[in-house]
Amino acid sequence: MSCTRSRKDIQELVDGTLGRIREAELRQHLDECPSCRALFDDLQRVRDVAATIEPIAPPDHVWLQIAGRLRQEGRVQDAPAPIAHRHQYVWLAIAAALVLAVGASLVVLIPRITDSPSVADRSGAGNSPAADAVQSGVDDLRKAEQLLQSGAAKLKEGLGSGEDALPPAVVATLESNLQILDQAITESGAALQKDPQNVAARTSLFDALQRKISLLQDTITLMNEMRKGNAAGVAQVVEGGNKS
Amino acid sequence: MSGLTRGVSRQDDVALVERCRRGDLGAFEELYRQHAGRLYSVAFRMVGNAADAEDLLQEIFLSAHRKLETFRGDSALGTWLYRLAVNLCLDYLRSRTGRAIQMTDALDDEPGLFDASSKGLAERTVTKMDLERALTQLPEGCRAAFVLHDIEGLEHREIADVMGIAEGTSKSQVHKARLRLRALLSR
Repeated sequence: MSCTRSRKDIQELVDGTLGRIREAELRQHLDECPSCRALFDDLQRVRDVAATIEPIAPPDHVWLQIAGRLRQEGRVQDAPAPIAHRHQYVWLAIAAALVLAVGASLVVLIPRITDSPSVADRSGAGNSPAADAVQSGVDDLRKAEQLLQSGAAKLKEGLGSGEDALPPAVVATLESNLQILDQAITESGAALQKDPQNVAARTSLFDALQRKISLLQDTITLMNEMRKGNAAGVAQVVEGGNKS
Repeated sequence: MSGLTRGVSRQDDVALVERCRRGDLGAFEELYRQHAGRLYSVAFRMVGNAADAEDLLQEIFLSAHRKLETFRGDSALGTWLYRLAVNLCLDYLRSRTGRAIQMTDALDDEPGLFDASSKGLAERTVTKMDLERALTQLPEGCRAAFVLHDIEGLEHREIADVMGIAEGTSKSQVHKARLRLRALLSR
């Protein structure tokens, strides 16, 4: 057998498709020709190593992106009923957690604002460094609040009225909670305007703004996770909300 | 057994596709879970990086969803998806290189590959990582055939079907890829 013919047959021998007679001829040639033998051994090694290469798992987010696109394009129906129900329970849990958190904050906040004497009343001194720090924090929080409020409004506008939209009961709860927090912000702001040294009013304003920002952040995160169809992300936010 | 039809019957395929056609997202996720691993591996090894492979995988499944109506069950769902995936990968590579992918079936344009004096692998150790690295340096056409045959385990007739080439062309592309890999790994 010539080396030219041998090299054609080597390909089939590596593939395992060479007939028995030609294989016997080729093997005889390989015993006599070191160059063809080396070629066969090398190609067989390449094939053997290739066969051990494992599949690579795609990252999880690829499926979420695909599902999100299909939903966005209206090419799939709502998620199957059990999942939809699960979402509804999730939202109810969020709403309950929010009501508890906001309600508890108001029980603490409002009496503190109205009853507390001002720092000036107690010490007769000017602003303490701690009070200045609180005032500066309040200014920063006001700015953050405005940004988040506008972000949440835009996101809400962008969501359709379908599966991605927040359920009406949840929207009502969120709006009610925001109203309560706004009331606390207005009242503590008014108390502070009346008595700029009232530390309790500043602290309450600070606290209410923080709670409002946190509520808006959670709402935005949840709307994003819902839009992406990320049930795990929703659960994570809920878990965080329940812990806070 | 063929590399494309293991474990799932044609009837199962048709039933699953039917549910997907009705807009059942859960069914489409099932289809995705069955095939995404192998299709992602092919895409990753054909384009050579994770970011492009992820984009392609997304495009493969969105395109599959759009084309579900055309799946008649004549071929296995795996074959149908592979065909879609390989074509999208080749389109992507064409657009990236700005030229057609060569699918010649001759090895005459491979000077030096059969040269008896060229260094072989000899006692050199070849790891999976070495091979994966060398793979990225192959011409796209023979890389695709090699990935499908030697890594994914498809038969030449399946590759011919998936890539729209003759069976003989698939054989020579795979052989060409092995020769090139040998040369690359010998350096």
